[in-house]
Amino acid sequence: MTPIDYLQFVLAPQVVNGLALGVAVVLVALGLTIIFGMLDVINMSHGEFYAIGAYAALALAAAGIGFWFLLVLVPVLMVPLGMAAERLLIRPVFDSKDRHVTTLLVTFGLGLIVEDVLKIIFGANTQRPPTPIPGATEILGIILPNYRLFLILIGAAIVLAVAYVVYRTRLGAMVRAAAFDRNMAASLGVPVSLVYAGTFAFGVGLAGLAGVLLAPIYSVFPTMGRDFILLAFTVVIVGGMGSIWGAVVAGLLLTQVQALASLVISPVWTDPIVFGTMVAFLMFRPQGLFGRLGHA
Amino acid sequence: MTSGTIKTLIGSLLAVTALSGSALAQSGPIKIGVVTPLSGTYTPIGQQVRWGLELAAKEVNAAGGIAGRQVSLVFEDEEANPSVAVQKAEKLFQVEKVDFLTGTVNSGSTLAVAQLAERNGKLAATTVSFADSITTDKCSPNMFRVNARAEQQSVALAAWLAKEKPKARVFYLGPDYEMGRSTVAAFKSSAEKSGAQTGGEVFAPLDSKDYTQYFGQIRATRPQVVYTSVAGNDTVRLLTQLQDFGLLSGLTVVGASGTVTSQNITAIGAAAEGFATGVGYSPQIESPENKKFVAAFREANKTDPDLYGADSYGLLFAYKAAVEKAGSTETDKVREALRGLTWQTPQGAKSIRAGDHQAMQPMYVVRVNKGKFDIIDNVPAENAIGPDACARF
Amino acid sequence: MHDRLTQSMRASHLLALLFVLVSIGLAAMGAATGDTFYLRLGTEALIFAGLALSVDLLLGYSGALSLGQALYFGIGAYVSALTLMKVPSFWLAMGAALAATLVAAIIGGLIANRVRGVYFALITFGLAQVMAKVVYNTRELGASDGMIGIPVIEIGLGPFSVSAANPAGFFLLVLAFIMGLYALTAYLLDTPFGRVLTALKANERRVPFLGYSVWQARMAAYVLAGLIAGLSGALYPMLRGFVSPELMFFATSGNAVISVVLGGVGTLIGAIYGSVLLVILKSIIGSWTEHHLIVIGLLFMLCVMFLPKGLAGLVRPRIEVLLNRRTQTPPASAEPAGLSPIAVKSGSVS
Repeated sequence: MTPIDYLQFVLAPQVVNGLALGVAVVLVALGLTIIFGMLDVINMSHGEFYAIGAYAALALAAAGIGFWFLLVLVPVLMVPLGMAAERLLIRPVFDSKDRHVTTLLVTFGLGLIVEDVLKIIFGANTQRPPTPIPGATEILGIILPNYRLFLILIGAAIVLAVAYVVYRTRLGAMVRAAAFDRNMAASLGVPVSLVYAGTFAFGVGLAGLAGVLLAPIYSVFPTMGRDFILLAFTVVIVGGMGSIWGAVVAGLLLTQVQALASLVISPVWTDPIVFGTMVAFLMFRPQGLFGRLGHA
Repeated sequence: MTSGTIKTLIGSLLAVTALSGSALAQSGPIKIGVVTPLSGTYTPIGQQVRWGLELAAKEVNAAGGIAGRQVSLVFEDEEANPSVAVQKAEKLFQVEKVDFLTGTVNSGSTLAVAQLAERNGKLAATTVSFADSITTDKCSPNMFRVNARAEQQSVALAAWLAKEKPKARVFYLGPDYEMGRSTVAAFKSSAEKSGAQTGGEVFAPLDSKDYTQYFGQIRATRPQVVYTSVAGNDTVRLLTQLQDFGLLSGLTVVGASGTVTSQNITAIGAAAEGFATGVGYSPQIESPENKKFVAAFREANKTDPDLYGADSYGLLFAYKAAVEKAGSTETDKVREALRGLTWQTPQGAKSIRAGDHQAMQPMYVVRVNKGKFDIIDNVPAENAIGPDACARF
Repeated sequence: MHDRLTQSMRASHLLALLFVLVSIGLAAMGAATGDTFYLRLGTEALIFAGLALSVDLLLGYSGALSLGQALYFGIGAYVSALTLMKVPSFWLAMGAALAATLVAAIIGGLIANRVRGVYFALITFGLAQVMAKVVYNTRELGASDGMIGIPVIEIGLGPFSVSAANPAGFFLLVLAFIMGLYALTAYLLDTPFGRVLTALKANERRVPFLGYSVWQARMAAYVLAGLIAGLSGALYPMLRGFVSPELMFFATSGNAVISVVLGGVGTLIGAIYGSVLLVILKSIIGSWTEHHLIVIGLLFMLCVMFLPKGLAGLVRPRIEVLLNRRTQTPPASAEPAGLSPIAVKSGSVS
């Protein structure tokens, strides 16, 4: 293989494909990091909410609803689900001493249940919606499917929109205030309990949106929630729990490390490398690259 | 006393009654234990195993049972985890007093259950695991395999490939675990013997999300053929991603028998077109037995049988033939009867080789055409089986 | 006079005694009826109870949730299996497993104890995942298939000897071993070391002012928990004759956490009852429906939310009242257990 061949066929596509995967991971991690950063809650069932979004898209598409409409409809439908989960499961244990551990355990239990329920409703076989934008584009000899190109663009748009809401709007300020000091925020007139439920539902809605967007590429099956969740947790930790920019940087960086490492060493070792990175960050910089949102 | 200990107590009492009941066992129904994954990633395969066995049991019972005794199936979920499989298998052997056991899917579970069967003095069979080791270096006198192992599949596929694309450059992509690696190795050696060249080889982790990171290596070697031994969801992703990247045109994709099956072919859709594999079964086999089987299976389960369903269905008839020949369900007698047994299945006649307990069967090469597997070639049983490499018995 | 902690531990001991008596009774019944399966299932439940015990030592006493305790269980199991295949000696296998888990737990402890709270949970999870992947990919360790062919051993106990194939004999041996681990842990928690741990859980910032090293106490608890998990794991291949990488997977760690929560966090004996309960539940529900995840997930969630001290939390206070009546001290209910709020509100993790 000539060096030019290597660059054109191997290295460059590797970077571009890694980018698409990176955007997918960031989309899943976004809701996770927001729920952690604002509520101090580890949502172990985040992957299952992602799966619910994907299945909802599949079912609604089968009922004749177009893909573009689903991008809005599914996240909106996920909001009441998120609200209910927050009210019924998170709120009752929110004030216990070990909030982290307790919420982690409760959502872990919820994840087990959701996975099984999805299997009962939709069956165990893998399903896949058709690719909404078919075809591929060739740029400088690098082939990229149009849908992945779209995913990279819409992923960037979603991140910017979420960052704008959280960092630049009055609503975002209220949420951040509630996260930083609940009592202070309440005394300033922030409806704290509504803000908490809304934030959780927002994170769940983002998971649902990720489900709609990623289903055509990664297919839909009951255990799909476990798929991205490990990588997403790693991204949240490395980026700094609660940091949106941290999740973006870490998500893109880790997937590049994975993609490029798989050229040099056996790809099976890329998973240990990613977990090793997580462990190393937890050891030496537990606040992650960007520290914590509510406390920044 | 907690409810836990009360339940253990009840359990022990049940064990007592089961024991006193064993004297009646020779005249009661014949029990067959099925330890198969009914939850988790392998659920779809476990379902086919279950449907195949249930249909066979229904037909056997309607025709008067085995040696005049009815057959009853006892299912347990093994979660595709060897430590669960062994615990459940022991329950079936010891508590349910099953006469025979089957159902394990992943090779780790099959090997662990084989050892358990030996220690319990019972017999077991697999209808799914195709890792060569089960009937070669890790063979067990108490384990039988009625499905085609990796080597049988490879021989058939390689023979067809040599005719279709002589001296093709092949790229190998397997999942990185024992079965994936041994399947690639088996096909590679068969293919190289019949003149294929090796372009490159990569092993991806099981449950990989994205296979695009290997596409560069694939394109750079410019292969005419890609061989893969991924299965289940992994195949859906691999093939649809290959299609999205426009790599499927001009490329022949071939693979293991478990790569594209009735569970994932709908999800793969058009990307599965042209995929070829060597397999012991296809619903398209033009025999009256098979047509009857497919119709009955479809009637009962609203879906086509695949190789797992068919091999599991056929197993029960092998067991029936063996028990009737032995005149007993005793382990040693049934083992002797199974060795060298020839019986009829929807796939045609199968026979169990005495030397390694591996079933010999005609092998087919099938190719996806409009969402169905068309039979495009076949290899007689003797040519596909390969040497007996079991040294233990 | 006993303080409250001793009081609640005495209630645990009473439950432990009951557990042992009932177990011996059942073993005798099982032996008399020639049962194999239930005795061996019980043995397996006890082995996993050892793993749950180690999770409870960390969660219930130093407040650290380990999501990767199966790492040490798996190391113990693999080292024991490798030893047994070379030399079929019980004591050699246990010794080798002890040494290996000691080294692993010290290394793991140095890594994990740099962080607290949820970060500790995630780091233990990550460590276990990395090691499980390494084992899964190592052909010398049987890779994804694991290793079969571990011989059935004779266990020499001075003048006696028990075969691992003898269901009742091996059950009693494992019972004695696991209850020995329980007693050892309970004893250590009653020493000043244990009091430091309890104090840590209540208020970590004050402990240094009392002259104790926080890090040393946490490290000691972590290594001890690792050893308990490793020694329990070493028994597994003796019972089942094989090991597989699934023993290190998250499902194994997760089941131990479920057992502890069902049985009662911070009670030690709850972990043992919880583990037995989980095995029975899985065995019963698993035969009845393949949707056992729903039932176990629901039970687990309800337990976390409404029964933070688990089953032991239901039973133990009543025993304490009885004990108090006898020793004529005022009734006490406070205990170090549970996920429930204690007086002090903890700060943020980082």
